[in-house]
Amino acid sequence: MTVSLTIENLSAHYGTTQVLKDLSISVAAGELVSLLGSSGCGKTTTLRLVAGFLQPTSGRIRLGDRDLTTLPAHARDIGLVFQNYALFPHLTVLDNVAFGLKQRGLAKTDRTKRAMAMLERVGLAPLADRLPAALSGGQKQRVALARALVIEPPLLMFDEPLSNLDAKLRIDMRVEIRQLQRANGTTSLYVTHDQEEAFSISDRVAIMNAGRILQLDTPEVLYQKPASAFVARFVGFENLIPMKVVERQAATVTAEAAGGTRLHLSQDLFGPIKDDFILACRADGLAVRREGEGIPAVLGTRTYLGRAYQYKCKTAAGEITANGPLSDPLDAGAQAVLTPLPEQCCILDPED
Amino acid sequence: MVELRTERRYQRGAPALKEYEMNKLARWGLTMPATIAVVLLLVIPVVLTIATTFGEAAGPFSTYTAFFKSGFRMAVLYRTLQVALITTGIALVVGFITAYVIAQMPGRLKSIMIVAAVFPLLTGVVVRSFAWLIILGKNGIINNALMSVGLIGEPLSMLYTQGSVIVAMVYLFVPLMILTLVGVLEGIPRDLIEAATSLGARPIPTFLQVILPLAAPGLIVGAVLVFTGSFTSYATPQLLGGEKQMMMGTFLYQRAMVTFDWVGASTIAAIMVIITIGVVLIMSRMARRLNPMAV
Repeated sequence: MTVSLTIENLSAHYGTTQVLKDLSISVAAGELVSLLGSSGCGKTTTLRLVAGFLQPTSGRIRLGDRDLTTLPAHARDIGLVFQNYALFPHLTVLDNVAFGLKQRGLAKTDRTKRAMAMLERVGLAPLADRLPAALSGGQKQRVALARALVIEPPLLMFDEPLSNLDAKLRIDMRVEIRQLQRANGTTSLYVTHDQEEAFSISDRVAIMNAGRILQLDTPEVLYQKPASAFVARFVGFENLIPMKVVERQAATVTAEAAGGTRLHLSQDLFGPIKDDFILACRADGLAVRREGEGIPAVLGTRTYLGRAYQYKCKTAAGEITANGPLSDPLDAGAQAVLTPLPEQCCILDPED
Repeated sequence: MVELRTERRYQRGAPALKEYEMNKLARWGLTMPATIAVVLLLVIPVVLTIATTFGEAAGPFSTYTAFFKSGFRMAVLYRTLQVALITTGIALVVGFITAYVIAQMPGRLKSIMIVAAVFPLLTGVVVRSFAWLIILGKNGIINNALMSVGLIGEPLSMLYTQGSVIVAMVYLFVPLMILTLVGVLEGIPRDLIEAATSLGARPIPTFLQVILPLAAPGLIVGAVLVFTGSFTSYATPQLLGGEKQMMMGTFLYQRAMVTFDWVGASTIAAIMVIITIGVVLIMSRMARRLNPMAV
């Protein structure tokens, strides 16, 4: 029973402020797509619209061949996992998990059997008779997961499910969520503000800002080829250097940054380069060398990262963060040259 | 430099421990006046009052058997229980609905509504009971209105009935119920209701299986407040019930102040205390069945 989720031109308002602007996204059957963005970007609003807790001002939400747009929330058949677990405090673990089955009119023996089987899968069967108050955070989140999965929903939605857990548990749980989701082949929408979490758990990630999706791609593409300066900054490109092409010769362009720094960039390596562009480089994407071609820099504070030394560098084009090799530590105040490595950099359109 | 800092921290830690010891002493000291007042002014008088009921020549329980054998006294007890239970029931329903609506309101409006609901509490019980005298009386607002419209030829007698007592008591106690329940309902996280909805629960099952059990502690506190208040009330049955609608409170007053039957009055008081405690226990057991988290 795997179906796809299609959201078409969805807009939503809180009062007079538009929080979602003509958002379209489709999640293929069995796929896990994350909505990633900082708070207020509209990711939770999207989830609440799909769940039916909010009404859109326009647009359509379809799940398989069912149109959910005007369906009441209780009839949407969506498994939801909440940030703060939202377990019923007055019901035992077993009754929490069986709650959805009870609403579906299953006989008590059937729902107990199915709820117990589900608890078995998340490893909580021995705690079936406990009240949620007697569980740890991780256990609570497992119960919430079991409760959402046991109704065998065609769509699972997660609203920052791991943000109340500690770092180690967070990693364990996201592996567990991914395994359960894969095993069931349930189409899933996952909301988070944690980039690492989104990238590690998702088939595709939608990066959102101000009620819009900026880019929807696989984690690999997002990480290596962000489509805009905003996304680049979001996925950890520390350095965004605005540049202008001053000369073109065959495949190589000569571009100038603020302060007159010139670089020769090969279009074979960097891809087509427009007259105005931004050179986006990760700290790893700028080689720190004593001499050679590149951006002349005066090195500032050196930090040891374990795999490299990181330098805060002063250049004519502004402050730049770059990583240098462990084999050649340079002192603060040293003169160096920063050379962009094509595989770790990308060319972006300038920002508006 | 570092050593100096750790030393200072240690010194700062030491008096904190002493402060805690002092706190323990202070806690006892500070609760003493209240404890003494409660024991002297409440516990001792109640014990003495009840003790007198067992000192009759005809046997220790003679006043109680006399009470339970008397048809008139049993009728008063029965009426009081009936009025108190009906009042509690109506107050629960009315208070819950009002509190539910108030709890959903946005902040500013909510405060205004709570103040409005509680406003009647700022005047005395007698004044509020008198208000009903004016509304329900022979020349009262309702009768005058109905007569002027021509719906009735002569005034209805609404006063001095069980109904008039109940109406006034509901009016008296609903604010307490609202106040108790708004807090409890506000404390129910919206997520829980959304979780229930997402799991397929329609509004009524959500209400019965989630909201009601979670509100149970508040419902019980409210019910206990209203029940004890109406069961022991004096002014309202006196003003709006009169002789015909005598209740335990008015009956006790009559025994003590009109017939000077102190032992009889003490017996009534003892029965009222025991029934109140019994009802409180039954109600808290009901709450625990609905919600094992409730106290």
